[in-house]
Amino acid sequence: MTSTTTATAPLLFENLTKNYAGQVALNAINLKIPAGHVVGLLGRNGAGKTTLLQVAAGLVLPTAGTCRTLGQRSDLLDSPELTRLGFVMQEAKFIEWMTVAQHLEFTASYYPNWDRDLQQRLTGILEVPVKRKIAELSTGDRQKVGILLGVCHRPALLLLDEPMSALDPIVRARMLDVILERLRDDGCTVVISSHLLSDVEKIVDWIVALEAGRVVENCALDELQESFAEWTVTAPDGSPLPAFTAPFILTQQRSERLVRLTVRTSEPDAVENFAASHGVTAQSRRLSLDEIFPLLLAAKKEVR
Amino acid sequence: MPPLLIIDHHNGIPAYRQIMDQLKLQIATGVLPAGTEMPSTRSLSTEISLNPMTISKAYSLLEHDGVLERRRGQTLVVRERSSSEAETNKQAHLRKHLTEAATMAHQLGISHAQALKLFRETLDSSTP
Repeated sequence: MTSTTTATAPLLFENLTKNYAGQVALNAINLKIPAGHVVGLLGRNGAGKTTLLQVAAGLVLPTAGTCRTLGQRSDLLDSPELTRLGFVMQEAKFIEWMTVAQHLEFTASYYPNWDRDLQQRLTGILEVPVKRKIAELSTGDRQKVGILLGVCHRPALLLLDEPMSALDPIVRARMLDVILERLRDDGCTVVISSHLLSDVEKIVDWIVALEAGRVVENCALDELQESFAEWTVTAPDGSPLPAFTAPFILTQQRSERLVRLTVRTSEPDAVENFAASHGVTAQSRRLSLDEIFPLLLAAKKEVR
Repeated sequence: MPPLLIIDHHNGIPAYRQIMDQLKLQIATGVLPAGTEMPSTRSLSTEISLNPMTISKAYSLLEHDGVLERRRGQTLVVRERSSSEAETNKQAHLRKHLTEAATMAHQLGISHAQALKLFRETLDSSTP
């Protein structure tokens, strides 16, 4: 890896491994997050999403390998990088006895670039109860405070770990707009982990999927969506259909005269060619991220 | 006024593709006449809550396809097209839908003659 590519990638993992008491949480991760993208970090519980973000923020030290965050080794992050890094943790630690307003004031004092106008505006948009004590807040309101504390210093890199799980759909939509605004105004790079795939799908343009501590997918969302499809196959005269085998077929469900295939192929005329070569009719439907996600993990398991 | 675009985030069709299809249709039907200025990537991104990268991808592909063109350096406008070119585009649009209908006709075992009759009837009944 040359120094120039290191400098342009806001996040770079090289052979990064993290073990917890002999358990492998991250297994030799090599990953480069491109600048200016909104990356959706997907994976099942325990896949390593939180550990990956914690390593990136310097909260967890690697067992082996390195992570570079904004050009600096993540175990050596200091104020030049930390003032440009925003991290919203899943269960953020706050100073419980402070009011929200006091906490904002307190955190702002650490950041020379804290944007008070932005704070004021986001407080209104996300309906943050500034006069309440942190200890009295609901889980949803705590998440809102976490967001405010993570973005008001206008970071160049924003790491979000399940930031919206307790928010209602209306606030979630506003929160996505807040993230998009950071992207437009500051060219901020965003990594967001979420179980709510349909939410993430609205703003992410890049997908990184983890499974058992390994990266199993790392590609543009468009490419992912355009390579997966479900084909409904019938024989024109109603005759029974053969078993289909092709490397791009991931699953098949069949009844006597109908076969439903899920496929992954980037070939533009794949469905037409398939229909012509088998003498069948086939209709193709695109899959949503919610439908693609399990296929992604299942397919990779077979390969290994 | 910005063009009306509605993105379905659950149908699996990439958002840039949906923007392209909807703009092409609005241009083909004359909703967006030649010379109409497109909103900037930034303002459309705000308008429809979409990643600006997605919008600039749609715009640059539409520019590449000759649907939009850049004027005075920056502004993207709907390109003027000859009537034959516009006609070809309209037909291409309808063909896409007819291809789906044709596949369905095959699957249902409906004969060509029956399918044509049905399409004619549908056309007649939906004409105002």
